[in-house]
Amino acid sequence: MSDAIHPLTREELMAGVDDLPSLPAVVMELLGSIEEEDLDIAVLSKKVASDPALMAKTLRLANSSAYGLQVKATTIQQATTFLGFEAMRKLIIAAALTGCFPAGRCPGFNDRAFWRHSIATAACARVLARRLRFNPDYAFTAGLLHGIGRLVLVSRFPERYQAVLSLRDKRDCELMDAERALLGLDHVEAGVALAEYWNFSDTMRQAIAYHRTPELPSAGFLATIVHVASAVVHALDLAGNPDELVPRVSAVAWTALGMSEEAWLQVFHETELQVDEMTAILVA
Amino acid sequence: MSDTYEMTPLAHLYPGMVLADAVLDEHGHVLLAAGATLSEAAIVSLGRHAVGAVPVARAVPLSAPGDAEIQARIDHLFRHNDREDLGDWATGLLRRYVEDYRINGTRAPEVAS
Repeated sequence: MSDAIHPLTREELMAGVDDLPSLPAVVMELLGSIEEEDLDIAVLSKKVASDPALMAKTLRLANSSAYGLQVKATTIQQATTFLGFEAMRKLIIAAALTGCFPAGRCPGFNDRAFWRHSIATAACARVLARRLRFNPDYAFTAGLLHGIGRLVLVSRFPERYQAVLSLRDKRDCELMDAERALLGLDHVEAGVALAEYWNFSDTMRQAIAYHRTPELPSAGFLATIVHVASAVVHALDLAGNPDELVPRVSAVAWTALGMSEEAWLQVFHETELQVDEMTAILVA
Repeated sequence: MSDTYEMTPLAHLYPGMVLADAVLDEHGHVLLAAGATLSEAAIVSLGRHAVGAVPVARAVPLSAPGDAEIQARIDHLFRHNDREDLGDWATGLLRRYVEDYRINGTRAPEVAS
């Protein structure tokens, strides 16, 4: 704990990222090629099938009620035929990421609440994107990944992060402000570093980098969707955090979505319907 | 089945919470039995044994929470939002919609997804 007050240097952060477990090769490939549409389904199925745990989790997701399949898919290839390549890419990424970080390393950090928030943000971003005629699969993945930098900090610097959590409790501030105060950097920077290390596509990198500052001209619409989706999930109290706090919503982002109250209430409802089932599958 | 309890970090424990499973010390001795209700002293003692998180039974509400309770929770969630601050209107609007959704019964019609 004695080093908790020293800010993290960029080098320490990068060394921390370097030490992270690597993702299955197939997931790295999917994350790096998110804009490519001509990946071979047969090759993809074979790669996923070589990792039985990943395959089982992906199939459970594909067969969950969020996708409403009439016939249950029993192979990756079958599920891809039913759902399309983009949807499958997203589900494989979700299944792999949620098993990748060790839980329980930092006392005080609620891993389960973290994943519930990420999964709910993914679900909400997907619901929003469908309404706004934006690619729902990009939105889901970006929602799932938006806070991933926090896991880098928690799993690589658990003692320092414990101090961050104490400061947050003491000041009742946003976690991000406590991160900056004690670490000198925040989970957004850690997320961008991870996105570079894991070779995420530019689209995902940008969404991670700007989800807290969607009003910046370079932010892009995906960051706007994720920003608002995350705020909605805080507001609907879906993560199960006793000290949940809704961050300030960017008026620029809110306006950009241009939705009526009726539309919002439907988004709330659709999001809530999906969260419990997805969380049960992804963080069992 | 995994949702009947929640691994809850020490900092988030409150007196009155009920343990879903026994908590053991590093030698495997039972510190607190399953079903025990946490007291202030028990929480302090868990801290002394360097227990990081414990399985807390999820509260099963006997009846649905009343409107006053829901309103209090929403006010807590939005505690950084000042209703009078017009510069923060977007957060204020989200707050109002969540109130309509949770309390005022403005349920959205079911839509086929």
